Amino acid sequence: CTKDLNIVPEDDQTTLSEKLFENETAYLEVLAGIYANLSLTGTDGAGSSNIQGLDPGTSQYGRVLLYLQTLSADQMIWSYENDPGTREIQRNIWTAQNPLILGMFSRASVSVAFANNFLRETTTEKLDARNVSAATRADIVNYRAEARLLRALSYYHLMDLFGKAPLVNENDPVVNFNPPQADRQQLFTYIESELTAIEVDLKDPMTNQHGRADKAVAWMILAKMYLNAEVYIGQAKYTEAADYCIKIINGGYTLATNYADLFMADNNTNSAVNEIIFPLISDGIETQNFGPTTVMVNGSVGSIEQNGTPLGVGAGGWGGALRLRREFVQLFDASVFNTDARNTIISGSRDIEIRDISDQDQGYILEKYSNAKSTGGFGSDQTFVDTDFPLFRLADVYLMYAEAHFRGASGTNTDLAFNYINLLRTRANNPQNNLSMSDFSNNNEILNFILDERARELHWEAKRRQDLIRFGKFTGGNYNWAWKGNGSNGISISADLKVYPIPNASLASNPELKQNPGY
Amino acid sequence: VVKEKSSGEPLPGVSVVVKGTQRGTETDFDGNFSITNVKTGDVLVFRYLGYANKEITIGTNFNFTVELAEAAQQLDEIVVVGYGTTTVKDATGSVEAITAKDFTKGNIVTPENLLSGRVSGVNITTSGAPGSGSQITIRGGSSIGASNSPLIIIDGLPIENSDASVSGSRGLLANINPNDIESFSVLKDASATAIYGSRAANGVIIINTKKGRTEYSLDFDMQYTFGEVLDRVQVFSADDFRNIINQIRPGDAALLGNSNTNWQNEILRNTVSSLYNLTARGQIFGAIPTRLSLGFANQEGSVLTSEFDRKTISLSMNPSLFKDHLKINLNYNRNFEDSRFGDAGQIGSALRYDPTQPVYDPTSPFGGFYQHIVSGEPANGTTNPVAALLQRNNTGFAFRQYGNLNLDYKFHFLPELKAVINVGFDKIKSENTDITSTKAPAQSNALFRGNNAFKTQERGNQLFDSYLNYIKTFDKTKLDVTAGYSYQRFENFGTDSGNKNNPNNVATTFADPDVVNIGFFGRANLTFSEKYLLTLNYRRDGTSRFGENNRWGNFGGAALAWKISEEDFLKDNKVISNLKLRASYGVTGQQNIPGSNDIYLDRYRFGNQGSQYIFGNQVIQSTIPSAINPNLKWEDTKTIEFGVDYGLFNNKFSGSLNYFNKVSSDLFFNEASLADGINFSNAIIQNIGELTINGIEFTINGDILKTDDYNWNFTFNATYLDREITKTLNNQEFRTGGTGGGTGNTIQLYRVGFAPNSFHVFKQLYDSAGKPIEGAYVDLNGDGLINDNDRYLKENPNADIALGFQSSFNYKNLDFAFNLRANIGNHVYNNVNSARAQYELLRDNAVLGNIPTSVLNTNFVRTADVINSDIYVENASFLRMDNVTLGYTFNNPIKKFSYSSLRIWAGVQNVFTWTNYTGLDPEVFNGIDNLIYPRSRNFLFGANIKF
Repeated sequence: CTKDLNIVPEDDQTTLSEKLFENETAYLEVLAGIYANLSLTGTDGAGSSNIQGLDPGTSQYGRVLLYLQTLSADQMIWSYENDPGTREIQRNIWTAQNPLILGMFSRASVSVAFANNFLRETTTEKLDARNVSAATRADIVNYRAEARLLRALSYYHLMDLFGKAPLVNENDPVVNFNPPQADRQQLFTYIESELTAIEVDLKDPMTNQHGRADKAVAWMILAKMYLNAEVYIGQAKYTEAADYCIKIINGGYTLATNYADLFMADNNTNSAVNEIIFPLISDGIETQNFGPTTVMVNGSVGSIEQNGTPLGVGAGGWGGALRLRREFVQLFDASVFNTDARNTIISGSRDIEIRDISDQDQGYILEKYSNAKSTGGFGSDQTFVDTDFPLFRLADVYLMYAEAHFRGASGTNTDLAFNYINLLRTRANNPQNNLSMSDFSNNNEILNFILDERARELHWEAKRRQDLIRFGKFTGGNYNWAWKGNGSNGISISADLKVYPIPNASLASNPELKQNPGY
Repeated sequence: VVKEKSSGEPLPGVSVVVKGTQRGTETDFDGNFSITNVKTGDVLVFRYLGYANKEITIGTNFNFTVELAEAAQQLDEIVVVGYGTTTVKDATGSVEAITAKDFTKGNIVTPENLLSGRVSGVNITTSGAPGSGSQITIRGGSSIGASNSPLIIIDGLPIENSDASVSGSRGLLANINPNDIESFSVLKDASATAIYGSRAANGVIIINTKKGRTEYSLDFDMQYTFGEVLDRVQVFSADDFRNIINQIRPGDAALLGNSNTNWQNEILRNTVSSLYNLTARGQIFGAIPTRLSLGFANQEGSVLTSEFDRKTISLSMNPSLFKDHLKINLNYNRNFEDSRFGDAGQIGSALRYDPTQPVYDPTSPFGGFYQHIVSGEPANGTTNPVAALLQRNNTGFAFRQYGNLNLDYKFHFLPELKAVINVGFDKIKSENTDITSTKAPAQSNALFRGNNAFKTQERGNQLFDSYLNYIKTFDKTKLDVTAGYSYQRFENFGTDSGNKNNPNNVATTFADPDVVNIGFFGRANLTFSEKYLLTLNYRRDGTSRFGENNRWGNFGGAALAWKISEEDFLKDNKVISNLKLRASYGVTGQQNIPGSNDIYLDRYRFGNQGSQYIFGNQVIQSTIPSAINPNLKWEDTKTIEFGVDYGLFNNKFSGSLNYFNKVSSDLFFNEASLADGINFSNAIIQNIGELTINGIEFTINGDILKTDDYNWNFTFNATYLDREITKTLNNQEFRTGGTGGGTGNTIQLYRVGFAPNSFHVFKQLYDSAGKPIEGAYVDLNGDGLINDNDRYLKENPNADIALGFQSSFNYKNLDFAFNLRANIGNHVYNNVNSARAQYELLRDNAVLGNIPTSVLNTNFVRTADVINSDIYVENASFLRMDNVTLGYTFNNPIKKFSYSSLRIWAGVQNVFTWTNYTGLDPEVFNGIDNLIYPRSRNFLFGANIKF
């Protein structure tokens, strides 16, 4: 009886696709799978991974994004350099073999594959064949737009970090196919056209369920692409950037009451919900992950301070995994920052210099993220925090508007730009909250101020590398920070490092991909 | 009547053939036989497994007794091969038979260790844990991403792969009683294994259990073992630790305690183990020869609390009906295994824990055990290892039943034709209860203390085999043809309660998709003039692991052998008494890719508790498509082999020499990368490579002395193996070999042109005094940066040459035996030193931690700077004396019985190991020494009584 060779899955967590869509709730669940890929690494707990070749935790979307955007720059040091890949990222000596780079490329690519799969499963023909109800079909219009949005988000990250990516859409096969490589210009055009096309089918700002994306997320990606357009495609698009900032601001977002609310265990319910445009969800019970907030809360606990308990994690946390580089600390040097709510630096008896990266007692530490609630009490678990990662938030939009204005956007307004800056300073209780043109001698000075202010407002939010590149300070030698280029005081690095290498494994599997110069 | 020479017991099943004809019979259960149409001057040839052939020229007395002596050399032994038997003399392939007299001795609890060091090309690595399983490879293993374990068959029933795990059990071989085993056949080359087709790429070990007899006998065996782990990893003593802290971290001197504790001594213990076996044989109901055996084994582990306890019942019934036309073999086994798993990971904690702290602390809230406390809470990091062992009760219970019914029917109308039907099953049900006291410090920042988890698992398989066998001699040509069908289905499922102390915990279940293997097979053996032998094998196999288009594979082989010594020009040669040349070619398949049973199907997987997503306040069961590989297909291994079997000086010395070349193509790699963006992962198991193995095996057996009083023999085997990855798609490389120290570190690489698992390291720089410079490496690619691109491949874990030597000596009733084993060229990455012997680790989070004293040789400070240095790749060649035994046999100590004997013996296991390796034990299966369970030196005393 050779037909016994036809077997079926027997595990209650696995089902054949033809069975799955018999139930119409499957559409929302499969959509949730695309979103979940931004927080989860696998289906079987925080230690599981659906991508391979690295430690599961180091393929978490937000975490690798944080590593590539923040750890590679001047704000953060990871103490345990025997965790593969971290040493090379934070010392800017990475190679195409780096597991964190592989994690980012793979995780973003899987997001694309999940989105394409959803689009394939929700074509009119398939919905007709499955006799899907009108109500579900109406929802699916939104779902499809969100799937395309998430696909565009991943392509945006790939474009920003790698400068190229394999371009795949829902009409391409799942196996036996090598997708063609798209360069930065092609990706820019593709993402732009996708985001414009889906706008109509996305929900209005602040009207979708918390955790799901709406029009403002699409506008945010567009605003960021236009702000960085000179880097990406050599064209200034500051006017477009400012326009989209205004669209977002007009969407009804307001700043959270307290800066700290944004980074607490209840940032899905406290005043932060008015400010956060798109969170990556984390929950100590339902959505456990070794993602950026879990890493940053546990990692913030000082080796000397043992300050985990008030942060809602174990007293010792991770023994001092994360510390600050000197240059970041110095951004808060002036006395006006003593009461600034954004200054959560703990210096104690510590030395500001990190001479030995593995000595957790050197360098200052930071208490920005927390697993405590704004209303008192703590998150539901002492390792996996409830704190969502704010991928996009209004404060960023304010500063982007100001920057676009001073970079020459038309139709913008100087007073409004300063107003936005001052709103953030007021919220932070900074006494110097009435800045105006007269406080600066020239445009360049204001722009440099904005870069610093972005660091003070948005540090440890996976923004820094992109900002430094836009300001021409990431590569080369005109701005060196501790351990840049593997020198304790920082040395110049090659301009090739503005984009990361395509992972070796990706080159091996797809001959269409070509390595970036310098690698 | 045919009897055994030494014991005088009758021998059933002895083949008796009239020389030069195909006429013959077998002895019955009382050793009797009768043969018709013989006349004076005819020569009868007697053959029996494990015994020397005997030729008797018939005189005038047609009723006589023949005594067969156990064979020192194995030339005429019957060897069980797939779906049939042959003799060593007539084997065309590389087949070795090991019978009870050759078994390796010592404190042997699991069956595979009976073979340890005995067979060329077979490597068995067993951990020191009680009752633990072993990693077995034959000829190095021909796979990368698939299992490298040989197919193991017990009385015709292929059991689940030996590396399939069962929670609560020590392993699938651990609950088989070695005492029930009569013999092993090890099939190595493709012509011998191809009959098992898909299952046999890594060789086959056939286990035959002991069978019933008509004569009544009772056997009692007992053995006591006293074990001690002699070696310790050298870490600082309490006083040296105080000195070094005062010297290197004076600021932390306040953290020092006042005790002097050797933590390794605290968690290791001397062990007492015992084994009892009782075997009864005889005929029941006057017609059914039966064997019943009971076995009790109790083994203590050298790590505190670990223990293994096994009870086995084995029943074998072997009646013959219709004048021996129908032979029935029934085997049934019930095994009960109780284990307590002492966490071997605590050996690492014992190295690390502060030696100036005490084991106990009467004021401690942690059940009276000392624990580090920092700001009122238990400190991060290492906890008291003694407490961790004593406060955790991790026990397993496994109940296994297996057996088979074999019907062998010789057709009445056509006795040359027989039909064999074999049905069997194997089912193991296990439970695992893991309780950690609520008095133990909370684990990894959990909100609650303690653990209470319960797991169950059920693994099983069912077998149906049937085949026809036809043997006929035409003039000078003998034809032996077999054709058959085989079906086997494997199942595996279980439950896991999770930690019931956790209020948010949810119980889970799992169920693997079944695996079904179906095969159609055939074999033809042709013998011309008793000199020229030809074997042809063919098998067509289907597996449920692949999609419909790739499901079936065709495998086969051919072998030629030429018994030159039968040719006239050598027949009466004084030196060469036996010489056979062999050549074979065959293709075997591989589909054993654990965890990938349904990977070709379009599937989705739901997130479990903890892996959901939240929209608004709504928890959504997030669901993702699973990565898919519909192209997965058979890995196949082509083997070419040339061999010589020789016997010299009237077979005083005998043995064989083999050369083989194996090429595995469409090699599975587990994490072969996928083009990004299309599939639902970045990598999946794929057929993308090629592995080549070249090897030479040599064996020699010698009877140095053979007189009535003295007997001295030896066997020696040597294996040379060279494995190399010869191809991967687009030259992909794969990191493997996870190490301790850091999260996700690897130290080995699969790269084209190198041996699998070669060590991937930085080249250490040394100062003029020859001291290593911390973190300084050779810039191998010369780009001015030291980064990952400067790592190179240095050596690999596999021995280039493996040697085994056994010798036994008898003087009258006194017997003495020992064996030696050596590996040459195997390398080990000393992860104990690489991840632990750095000064910065004197701090363990907020408290102090001990480190190996080898830090004094390197003076290294930071683990991250040095962990991948080639300084930690060490040559771990060794010579080991596995055991030595001395025994004395009293004949007929109890006069009342017609025959009785008592043998008492004593032995030492793990006598000595010579090696330059600086770690505890040079024998590490994958070449990464991250603290293996220590192997103890054992002193054994035993007695065997026969009635």
